[in-house]
Amino acid sequence: MTDAKSQAMQSASLTPIITVDKVSLDFTKEKELMPVLVEVSLVAPKDQFVMITGPSGCGKSTLLRIIAGLTPASSGVVKFREEPVTKPRNEIAMVFQNFVLLPWKTSLENVMFGLLARKDLTDQEKLARATQALDDAGLRGFETVYPGELSGGMKQRVGVARALALAPQVLLMDEPFSSLDDLTAENLRREIYSLLISSSSPIQSVIMVSHNVEEIIELADKVVVLSARPARVVGELKIDLPRPRDKKSKEFFDWVDRVYALLA
Amino acid sequence: MILALGLSIMFSLFIGILAARNKRAESLIIPLLDVFQSIPILAFFPLVIGAVTAAISGQAGISLAVVFLIFTSMSWNIAFGVYEAVKSIPKDYIDLAEMSGSSSLQKIKSLYIPASLSRIAYNTQTSWAVGLFYLISSEIFSTGAVNKQVSHGIGVDIVTFYVNGDFNGYVYSILLLLVAVAIWQVVFLREFSLFSERYKFLEEPRGAHQDPLLRFYGWVNDKSISKLFLLSHVGGVNRVSSVLFRFRKGILYAAIIAFGIFAAFEFSTFVPGLASGIEHLSSAAILSAEGTVLVSLGYSFVRIWSVYFLAVAVGLPIGIGVALRTRLYEAMVPLLEVVASIPAPALLPFIAAAAMEQGEIVAAFIIFVGMIWYIIFNVMAGIRTLPAEIFELKKVFQLSSWQAWRQIYIPASTSAFVTGSITAIGAAWNTLIVAEIFQVVTKNGVHTLTKVGNGIGLLLVQVNNANPYTATDAATFILALVSMTVLIIGFNLLVWRRVYHRVTKRYAYNR
Repeated sequence: MTDAKSQAMQSASLTPIITVDKVSLDFTKEKELMPVLVEVSLVAPKDQFVMITGPSGCGKSTLLRIIAGLTPASSGVVKFREEPVTKPRNEIAMVFQNFVLLPWKTSLENVMFGLLARKDLTDQEKLARATQALDDAGLRGFETVYPGELSGGMKQRVGVARALALAPQVLLMDEPFSSLDDLTAENLRREIYSLLISSSSPIQSVIMVSHNVEEIIELADKVVVLSARPARVVGELKIDLPRPRDKKSKEFFDWVDRVYALLA
Repeated sequence: MILALGLSIMFSLFIGILAARNKRAESLIIPLLDVFQSIPILAFFPLVIGAVTAAISGQAGISLAVVFLIFTSMSWNIAFGVYEAVKSIPKDYIDLAEMSGSSSLQKIKSLYIPASLSRIAYNTQTSWAVGLFYLISSEIFSTGAVNKQVSHGIGVDIVTFYVNGDFNGYVYSILLLLVAVAIWQVVFLREFSLFSERYKFLEEPRGAHQDPLLRFYGWVNDKSISKLFLLSHVGGVNRVSSVLFRFRKGILYAAIIAFGIFAAFEFSTFVPGLASGIEHLSSAAILSAEGTVLVSLGYSFVRIWSVYFLAVAVGLPIGIGVALRTRLYEAMVPLLEVVASIPAPALLPFIAAAAMEQGEIVAAFIIFVGMIWYIIFNVMAGIRTLPAEIFELKKVFQLSSWQAWRQIYIPASTSAFVTGSITAIGAAWNTLIVAEIFQVVTKNGVHTLTKVGNGIGLLLVQVNNANPYTATDAATFILALVSMTVLIIGFNLLVWRRVYHRVTKRYAYNR
């Protein structure tokens, strides 16, 4: 992690990369309108790590999917810089909770898969990008291995590499570490964080969904807390602990308590 | 038919529980069931008719033979279900029963039967479709054999209407059959499976639980797959059995098959006119008979595989296309279920007329109808069981539909597709005997309406109905049965097993 960049990430910039403006979502179930999200607003400023959290099933992942352009909102808008997001865009990449790798493709082919629709790249460029992304994600030498032969942590590395290969400006992550065991998650979390904020990374904003409060305090510059369904924003905290953060310090625990207080 | 179903359930409970609770019985019964469900039962039908009518003459004998055939066709499925259900009762419950000092009978009544109920319900659904197929086939088939007719039954009516040129009667009987099938599905099978829901020990995976189609077809697949692992049945794909274990099982199977062949010979001597002179045939005559059989087998093999490719070309895109569209899928499934349970042979007269009585086309059509549903339903189930996120990939990475089909949907359905193919090819062998030759009996004798040039189903029917009936005919008949069975089992073990292994290793989608 370079100091300059990490400082930059802590100081909020004025131009938000992602703006979520009064987004609501309703489901129709048996002809009854069920609100899922109610006027949720948040901004993801340049060079910040934004976390979204809330009780299980409150609609965190749904919100992330709206930001990704996968699910249309019932009302409100999501903007990437100045442009409204209505469908997935090249500048926004996504890492899934359950990896979603194709078992019949090798690691490299899985990463290449993410570049299939990119007509602006030649096959050689795609290959070079995919190889580089795997390398960055710590998978050099695993190019020809199939997902079935990889551990959970390694699978998620492939998932991250697939997103990185797109050279996105925004990275969305839906509980990327929650299906991994604690130790693996811990290591991967650190590595991915330093990878994302490294000076060579094109990523300008990370939005991640998590329900693990310690993970949130460890990574986030800002955390947005949602209520139980229907989800509203119940609080937004700017976490200004200096990095690297000491998980055993009193300040760390104070932050954990503050987030729990909002969740309860 | 209901009689046969009742018998099947009783028999299955007995066999299944016995196999599950008794090690020695298990090692004998399970391989036997495996072999039995691998062989084309229909081909053995003439033997059964012969034997039963020899014992009980007249209509009662014929009807009994039909009941017996349907019974056999349904039992293996249900018996396996009972076996697996009893086998998978959590150990704690059995301990509980032991601790409370229950007698064997009490255990059967209060534990084993309730535990088996939900599996019986599922397997009854599939067995019913299979049974219906045999019912119609056997009735139509038996009308082909002189003096060996069932006098009443929907299959008989269908053929009779056709022969008499009574088109309306034919259409009505088909409609009647459809309505009966639909009512049966809704009234009995659904109620039964709902009723049996509460007898479950373990929750099934949520997807499977909610989706009627998956419940319906999941099990047939398991069964057709288990055929591939005759020699290492217990653990399925993942278990690496010891060489010794395989070897011992192999010997056991060889013994069972040898016994089966021996029994078939013995059995046939009970049938009047059959096989009385077989032992006097020269080995040259037997060789030449086997030659005829092999040529016919070859024709049938090619026929089945050509139709298979056609069925794939149609079934795969339909299966994927429907499964991708949730609303279409939900609307189509009940419809397809009913349509799919029309047994192909019932359509025989219609197809024969439509195909201008071209034997080859008729045969292809019957085989096609017998196969296509397995492909469609399996592919649909395969796509529907994929985790929801996989469908987001297309949007997230902005793929075109063509890219998504080629890169995601087709590979993702591969293992389900192979499973479906194995079942479909298995079913196709069974349809041969009605597909390759279509005969009806009128006052003037047997009329052959359509037939193919050469094929094992044709050969079986011809030698069975040969007049005068010679020892060569008898020998050919038995050789044909044995060769066909060996081919089917051999193909399962040598080819399908490897394909399946490879495909599940690479294409099965699990996180």
